[in-house]
Amino acid sequence: MDEKGAFLAPIRKALGYPQEEVRTAGECRRLFDCGDEGDIVDRIKYRTHVEKQSLLKRMTENAAPLNLGVHPASSLAAAADLISDIVRAASPEFSDTRQIIQHDVDDIASLQLWKKFAGKAVTVHTTYQADMAVREKAIASYVGITAPRWAIADSATIVEITGAGRPRSTSLLPSVHIALLRIEHLLAELGEVYALLRRTPPQESFLFISGPSKTADIEAHMVHGAHGPREMHLVVIDERMTADTSYQGSGLFPAE
Amino acid sequence: MKMSEAEKIAYRRDARRGIDDECLQGGLQRIQNHFGKGAMRYWGEMADDGLRDRVKHSRMETLENLDVVLAMLADNIEEAGGHVYYARTAEDATDYCRRVAKKNEVSSVIKGKSMISAEIGLDAALEAEGIAVTETDLGEFVIQLAEDKPSHIIAPCIHLDRQRIGRLFQEKLDIPYSDEPPVLTQAARRALRKIMLEADMGITGCNFAVAETGKISLVSNEGNIRMSTTMPRIHLALMGIERTAATMSDHQGMLQLLTRGATLQKLSTYVSFVGGPRRPGDPDGPEEFHLVMIDNGRSRILADQEFREVLACIRCGACLNICPVYGKIGGHAYNSPYPGPIGAVVSPLLFGINRYADLCKGESLCGACLDVCPVKIDLPRLLLALRRKLAYGDPAWQTRKHKRTEAMVFRLWRALIASGPLYRLALRCAGILQKPFISETGMIKKMAGPASAWTRDRDLPPLASEPFSGRWKKKYRQAAAKGPSEVDNG
Repeated sequence: MDEKGAFLAPIRKALGYPQEEVRTAGECRRLFDCGDEGDIVDRIKYRTHVEKQSLLKRMTENAAPLNLGVHPASSLAAAADLISDIVRAASPEFSDTRQIIQHDVDDIASLQLWKKFAGKAVTVHTTYQADMAVREKAIASYVGITAPRWAIADSATIVEITGAGRPRSTSLLPSVHIALLRIEHLLAELGEVYALLRRTPPQESFLFISGPSKTADIEAHMVHGAHGPREMHLVVIDERMTADTSYQGSGLFPAE
Repeated sequence: MKMSEAEKIAYRRDARRGIDDECLQGGLQRIQNHFGKGAMRYWGEMADDGLRDRVKHSRMETLENLDVVLAMLADNIEEAGGHVYYARTAEDATDYCRRVAKKNEVSSVIKGKSMISAEIGLDAALEAEGIAVTETDLGEFVIQLAEDKPSHIIAPCIHLDRQRIGRLFQEKLDIPYSDEPPVLTQAARRALRKIMLEADMGITGCNFAVAETGKISLVSNEGNIRMSTTMPRIHLALMGIERTAATMSDHQGMLQLLTRGATLQKLSTYVSFVGGPRRPGDPDGPEEFHLVMIDNGRSRILADQEFREVLACIRCGACLNICPVYGKIGGHAYNSPYPGPIGAVVSPLLFGINRYADLCKGESLCGACLDVCPVKIDLPRLLLALRRKLAYGDPAWQTRKHKRTEAMVFRLWRALIASGPLYRLALRCAGILQKPFISETGMIKKMAGPASAWTRDRDLPPLASEPFSGRWKKKYRQAAAKGPSEVDNG
């Protein structure tokens, strides 16, 4: 018997099955049958834009107590303004230079952030797959910009599926984490994410993030910025929103 | 038997120390008032009130098919390029960790909070090889600096106040004294970041593994677990065999109950799903991934239908936050990585019922742990089952029939209370005999002979001058005269 067999035999015995007979998943089909997620997937698919906008409102409300800032933007250009304001308002924590790092995805590339910082001593890194120094760049950066796959309004959570061009460290090592999402990818509650994850299980690692890193280990006193980012923002692009509710450099963050 | 004696003394002694420790009492009160009461309130109000029963059902069903679930998990992890090691005992597990560390020339290990690592004694095993081991959870880091032991499974350092932590950091991290939590947190953040970025190996536990997808999931608020699973070359996860879900659907319910039960959160800040080394093209993540499945006595619990239920535990710590006994004596008295009501059941079953005999006797059987448990584990029933094993003996659990004299006393007692006139006579005698023992507070503070053990740590209310049956009769007679509507409970 191999190691696995020798390990599982006493467990089979404990459960009252013959030790030597390997059981298969087919013999306990009920355990692995979790019903059809079709209804939930349909609900997501047929959600109207107005419904998504009300989800965004819910997201914003639920994010506030978690210290997660949610900012709507009517276009990529507005999102770029917003993000550059956040970057300017923050200061480096672990290094003397202003470096930021962004995931290698189309929407973030379209922001053309490097243009915003031309002549401003802010270096913009992109996590290209071929770049061998991504780790060092992430360590040196004080802002990390990622594009989550989905976000959940009910728990103010973003879902990141990490992999080539989308390192895990971008949302972990910098002091400020900014996530860029299109409103189309906003979901109502956790069950919807699980339904989508069940339909197409990712091979990559993935993670849920709900706000900046925090701890309450010392006398139950809440402190943000334990080991991960101490500040987090979610920028939501809604191209069908009316211009007056979009971000217009409203003085949320002081410009340089 | 020697062992048992030694542990017994430690429980009494450490419980007494806990009760006398003002700092601990403050921490316990804070956590019980907030989290314990909060969880009870939430279960009462939650919209989906069937969730707890559904999750319990899926937990039990998973346990009943654990052989299949573990085999599937192992196959999926291996398919993703991860290594699976099957550890029958604590020594198997620590030996394997040591081998992996040596083979990869590891000099520094960072750890995410893991109770099973304490169960198997991993830190000492690695340190014996000259490997530096650093706890990264802030609470655990404080505990490590103080060379102390955790006293709560979610909030390890509730027995230390900010002043003590301030002095500790001043001494060990070489920073100016402060007792401000933000300043102390920032100091730990800086000190640990350097260590975490340079470590060769990350060792974590596993909150729940999902067999169907071959992923293990880890929750944290601080981000230290993400550091441990992302930055070092090697990630090794330790998993008790019961910490498995068959499907993502099962996982969802377990996750929701875990974060609610533990900290009243909808979700913790981070929930990571990992299950293998970095894939081609992956920019980060470990080069090697190891999952160590640990039995260490669990299959024995699984085999006993009476105790199997305890393996459904999702380790949220809610029972610690409500237990009146834990709330007074704190975690150290349990002398186990698993304190509180859950520890009082699981520690004897894992480490020996005789050795941990005092734990099940110390709990009050008030039932609060059952009420607060997200998966409704009947801990009072399990505590009673353990007491039964101790009283009547069970060779399967190496317990012997407890004291013969005690058994005889109880046999006499049974005969006595079964006979009305004898019992009443005995009560009357005792009522007279107790008189010299009643103190000015109206309580019996000290009894004579073998009965003195009873009053060593507590006062006993004296027998009433008029027995209940007498009072009842009187009351009933009066009430019957007045009419039934006026019977009260007085």
